[in-house]
Amino acid sequence: MIRAETLVKEFTRPQRVQGRFSGLRSFLSTRTVTTRAVDDVSLRIDDGEIVGYLGPNGAGKSTTIKMLTGVLVPTSGHVEVEGIVPWKDRRANARNIGAVFGQRSQLWTDLPLRESFDLIASLYGLDPVDYRRSLDGFVDLLEMGPFLDTAVRSLSLGQRMRGDIVAAMLYRPPVLYLDEPTVGLDVVAKARIRDFIAEQNRTEGTTVLLTTHDISDIEQLARRVVIIDDGRILYDGGLESLRDRYAPFREIVVSAPRIPDSTDVPGLTLTRTVAAGDEVRATFRFDPADLSAPAAIGRLTSSLAITDLSSREPDVEDVIRQIYTDRGVVA
Amino acid sequence: MSTATARLPARRVRAGLRASVRHAARSQFAFRASTWTGIVGCVLQVILVHLVWTAVYGERTVVSGVAQGDAVTYAVLGVLTTTIFQPFIFDSLLGRLRTGAIAFDVMRPISAVPVALARQLGGTLAQLPAAGAALVVGLALGAISQPGSWLSGAACLLSLMLGFTIALIVNFTVGLVGFWTLETGGAFLIYRMLAQFSSGALIPLWFMPAWLQDSLTLLPFSAQVFVPLSIYVDQDPGWHTVRALGLQAMWVAVLVALATLVWHRAIRRLVIFGG
Repeated sequence: MIRAETLVKEFTRPQRVQGRFSGLRSFLSTRTVTTRAVDDVSLRIDDGEIVGYLGPNGAGKSTTIKMLTGVLVPTSGHVEVEGIVPWKDRRANARNIGAVFGQRSQLWTDLPLRESFDLIASLYGLDPVDYRRSLDGFVDLLEMGPFLDTAVRSLSLGQRMRGDIVAAMLYRPPVLYLDEPTVGLDVVAKARIRDFIAEQNRTEGTTVLLTTHDISDIEQLARRVVIIDDGRILYDGGLESLRDRYAPFREIVVSAPRIPDSTDVPGLTLTRTVAAGDEVRATFRFDPADLSAPAAIGRLTSSLAITDLSSREPDVEDVIRQIYTDRGVVA
Repeated sequence: MSTATARLPARRVRAGLRASVRHAARSQFAFRASTWTGIVGCVLQVILVHLVWTAVYGERTVVSGVAQGDAVTYAVLGVLTTTIFQPFIFDSLLGRLRTGAIAFDVMRPISAVPVALARQLGGTLAQLPAAGAALVVGLALGAISQPGSWLSGAACLLSLMLGFTIALIVNFTVGLVGFWTLETGGAFLIYRMLAQFSSGALIPLWFMPAWLQDSLTLLPFSAQVFVPLSIYVDQDPGWHTVRALGLQAMWVAVLVALATLVWHRAIRRLVIFGG
């Protein structure tokens, strides 16, 4: 179980001085600026949960994860993972957690991938028989046989990422932090990694905290999402209720030879028009609480000469964009 | 907060460190061409050093109070010790800092310090083939005389061990600079040059002007190479030998304290400021 209470992380950096001799004056200046990367974050993740942790770049996602792994010491607040305060006892915490940071690798580059695994097994004091069994299982699941004896530096990004995920799970930690584990991967590689994570969660009961910019990662893995921006938690709850709360609208896309921008249909809002060949395609929004879908379609057909029509629910990506825009963050 | 059972038993820790030594040594052998150039380079250095010092002495048997045989022996052994002591694989820490992998290394069941030292030891072991080949060539050339006395030989062994410990700690500490600045390439080039010169590996301290010799003795570099090798060629070891060994031991203590301090500052920087 992961428990964070009123977690705060501030970074203090020397202030840059503007104007003449700014370089020298910045060097001599003792003035500092403090920024709050994580501001009063409270979070509780139960055993076996997969939680998606979302937010724009610089929102505080990685800083939170670093505090949960024990690499960063919180400025204030309390954090506990599997009953251990990570930064106070990194060594004891180590065997309970696995971490993948998509942007960096923990593997040793010059030797074959297998050698990195062997070394990690030794550093975590794994029994050789258990280790063999785990590794064989992982190699099967992630189809790593063909490149297990290739030097890490020669691996493709997808292969390396699989290597890093296995490196984080060799000792079967109950908690797994995945910070952008699919960044830069192609569709097939992404799918393989998602399936693997889902499988580990199902069979081993691994608790997973996952950050990503790829919403389909979240849709396919997590039932619960936490959205953070500017260091603060904006939303913590189910994926479904997220939609109801932030994007309680439906959309109808209609095609017609002519749709003036001034089109006014009661109960519907025109949000977008795009030229499509001879026709114009327009997106209308309505609130299903005020207007039923058939009624909305009826109103549209009576006011416009429609040739085609489709209806869609906003997907999570729309929702996230909506949240970021509301907050003045560019998505 | 921490329970005893959460820690690795000492036996497992030792196994983990042994694996780190092996892994680091094998990493050095990963590039076959560089292994061979290492061996050839070391052998060449021995041959050249032998040639140059023999030529410098020419007909003379003693220069600045140093006998020819001692000077040549010193120079050849200097090449061997430098090869082994200062393999300059800062990658144990620096490479990990540059790629950010250090974040993983500080959250393992074994502390990052012994692991980094074990990796440096592995780097040293990887130099053994080169040093071994050069030793064989040196012996074949007759460039290495026997130690000054059996006592000198024994004292030299002890002194070499102390010298290696000093080299290990100094290299580790210098590697920590990477926590403050990742742009370290140039700085290390200068450090490496200074360290080699000050250790007496290139030119024995005997031949340096008194003021330089005195100041270099105050640095921890001469304790790495110069001290053990001058003990080796010393025909009359005595209290001055004991004093030299004592000074080395003192350096070990001072440098361990310094390394501990720097490490704590470095880790503080990582965990408070985020590196």
